[in-house]
Amino acid sequence: MHCCSHIILLFGQAICTVGDNCYRAVTFLKEGMLVWILFLLCQVGAPALAQDLCQRDAPNGYKVRISLKTALGEDAYEWNQSEMFFFQATMAFAMRRHFQMETYNVDNIILCVQTSRVSFWFVVTSPDNTTMLIPKADVEKAVRMSRHRINNAFLLSDRTLEFLGIYPTLAATVNPDTPPWLIVFGVVIGAVCAGIIALLVSSLLQKRRKEKGMTEDGQDEEDMQVKGVENGINLDGTYNRGFTDDDRFTKL
Amino acid sequence: MGKDAARAEWDNPMQFVLACVSYAVGLGNVWRFPYLCQMHGGGGFLIPYMLMLVLLGVPLFYMELAIGQKMRLGSIGAWRAISPYLGGVGMASVVTSMYLCLYYNVINAWSFWYLFHSFQSILPWAECPANSNLTGPVEECERATPTQYFFYRETLDISGSIEENGGIHMGQALCLLLAWIIVYLFIVKGVKSTGKVVYFTATFPYLVLIIYLIRGVTLHGAINGVKYMFTPKMEQLAKPTTWINAATQIFFSLGLGFGSLIAFASYNQYNNNFEKQAIVVSMVNSGTSIFASIVTFSIYGFKATFNYESCLERVRLLLLNTFDLAEDTISLENVNHWIAELNRTHPEQFASLGGRLETCDLEAELDTAVEGTGLAFIVYSEAIKNMPVSQLWSVLYFIMLLLLGMGSMLGNVIAVITPLSDLKFISHYMSTKTLNGLVCLFCLLLGLGFTTRSGNYWFTMFNDYGATFSLLFIVLIEVITVCYIYGIKRFEKDVEDMLGHRLNWYWKIMLAGVSPILLIALFIFYIVNYIQGGTPTYQAWNKELGKSVVTEYPPYAQAFIGLLLASSVCCIPLTALYTYCKKRNLASGKRERTVSTITPRQS
Repeated sequence: MHCCSHIILLFGQAICTVGDNCYRAVTFLKEGMLVWILFLLCQVGAPALAQDLCQRDAPNGYKVRISLKTALGEDAYEWNQSEMFFFQATMAFAMRRHFQMETYNVDNIILCVQTSRVSFWFVVTSPDNTTMLIPKADVEKAVRMSRHRINNAFLLSDRTLEFLGIYPTLAATVNPDTPPWLIVFGVVIGAVCAGIIALLVSSLLQKRRKEKGMTEDGQDEEDMQVKGVENGINLDGTYNRGFTDDDRFTKL
Repeated sequence: MGKDAARAEWDNPMQFVLACVSYAVGLGNVWRFPYLCQMHGGGGFLIPYMLMLVLLGVPLFYMELAIGQKMRLGSIGAWRAISPYLGGVGMASVVTSMYLCLYYNVINAWSFWYLFHSFQSILPWAECPANSNLTGPVEECERATPTQYFFYRETLDISGSIEENGGIHMGQALCLLLAWIIVYLFIVKGVKSTGKVVYFTATFPYLVLIIYLIRGVTLHGAINGVKYMFTPKMEQLAKPTTWINAATQIFFSLGLGFGSLIAFASYNQYNNNFEKQAIVVSMVNSGTSIFASIVTFSIYGFKATFNYESCLERVRLLLLNTFDLAEDTISLENVNHWIAELNRTHPEQFASLGGRLETCDLEAELDTAVEGTGLAFIVYSEAIKNMPVSQLWSVLYFIMLLLLGMGSMLGNVIAVITPLSDLKFISHYMSTKTLNGLVCLFCLLLGLGFTTRSGNYWFTMFNDYGATFSLLFIVLIEVITVCYIYGIKRFEKDVEDMLGHRLNWYWKIMLAGVSPILLIALFIFYIVNYIQGGTPTYQAWNKELGKSVVTEYPPYAQAFIGLLLASSVCCIPLTALYTYCKKRNLASGKRERTVSTITPRQS
């Protein structure tokens, strides 16, 4: 709007220099109309100027693509002017967050080339000078910094709210101290080794028991069994040797 | 029969049958048969397969069981008893089994690796890891697929060719150690422990297969795969390779010639009815192949449909983004309609799409036939990661692979240990446990070579050449020996002694006539194929391209292939020569003869 006030002032100055006394009453009406016409022209001209800054393939602009149906399916909201305004506000917030000193406003974010895909281009102007655009790299830094907040504002993700040209930073792979597979491995190999040791020890003990029974030959167990003593209880009758557990010949 | 009373035995005939089933039903049923089915005309392949089963598989299986049960010795002792000059056949079997033991357990190590990695919230082969800058995925992973990246880079850490060696992959080495410890646990007490283990290893895979069948056929798009498999393409039957592949598959699937069947049967009761058991096991093996291929094809169908729909989705997005249309104008169904429409209305813009527009073809997706480790570890894991609750399915699947592999491994190891423990000088010095431990340790140490960076290439070499050609030769010599050198009449008498009834005309015709002819034909075909094939090649993984390229083996690797083939085959003529010389010396030296009659033999 600054340009309009400049133009009106200049024109007013030009008019005042023309006539002094006689024309003042007549020209007053004409001035009013001219100012009004100029005002109207400025209203049209200002967006036209802004439109020159924001266009398809603008050197300092980014294209944004939104996929609402993919992200939200049935719950997708309608993309309308209010949502566009929300986008401008979010971008202004992102710019403010990055450049902490400067106060960006909704007017500093200019949108254009809207399509039904939902995609559009935007450029960011400087708060001090509306004809000056913020360079692409700075806009990228601001977007990267607040990407998560921007996504969440629209209930979208990196994939469904795309800034073409700004690649999302992938989440760093979590590297735990012990890889989980090693834990499972440890459990399994522990169980298996325990099984083997148990088997070997049990067969060793069995062999020792058999050897003791064989070499002592009639002492201890066999002797006790012959005398009819089992578990310390004196049984009547004699023990039939034919049923002793002598499996010497059926070893592997 | 004093010696025989000391020999261990199966607790009951069921254990023997389950051991044979566990051995025969292995990874080949899951990853080789579905591939062959697909390559050779789907349902039509069953015809040559069944025919070869009847003509070749069952008679040879019967013969090996008969030999083992009659001789009650491992392969070396059994063949020496049949014909002293052909004891080398047993030796060749042992050498081949040894090669198999060395490399087969590496597959179990990979199954363990995948199994342990399934206990994570996101399966590690589902997504590409981010690169160091966190700007995108790792390039190798981007050019290939995440499942391929996980297999070639994180599991194998594969080098670019067989010449580039590298260090041992510690994770793989640990998994191999675990695999060998478990094998030792299963065989430590001989058939007493093995007999109990096979109850589990033979039956549990079927449970998992049934669960997978139910899961598989209920997947979206599975019906495409099953339909594709069962539509027979009868023209494939006219090609000779179909019949040859059917014969080869039957042959290797039943595990003939390794000496495992002889070893298993040697622990049988003398009068065990192996005839019925032979038929049962062969039928179960083939039935399992067909059953597993239904499961595989339903998974294929799911994967192909998933890829096809992803392709359509990508094309849809591309069209939406290029022409800035609203999201709901193009849906997956009318993508093709819109392509034609947009080509008509906006030709220049459409032309600017250029190569980015993919053609999505379901048939092409189904046509990608894969076999072997590629099927089991890449294609299947890709399908699993897209299923809901993928961790559960992954765990189940790799447990099934493990059981199948372990069951076959048992047979392989027993084929090596039984003849060794039958040898007098070994059984005199050490107990069964020590022998088993030593064999496992030896195989583990040599098997560590397959866990190096170029280890997978050596694995493929062993897989392709270690047991294929030598087995055909061994079994051919076996059949000729039994039928013509030992004599079909003597064999008939032995069988009558064991079973109580004479050999059927079917067995006589097959063993004496049809099987040897088929084997000779297979043998000749193999030799011709090998000579015509030129320099042997292998698939080397190229990091930059993100796919496998066909590379020729270097000269020393080709020499090694020749060594692999020769080392088992030449056992037969060498032993025959040795026995001949020994007999000549014995005959010529009277003094030796007198000494030999006086010196007490330990047999």
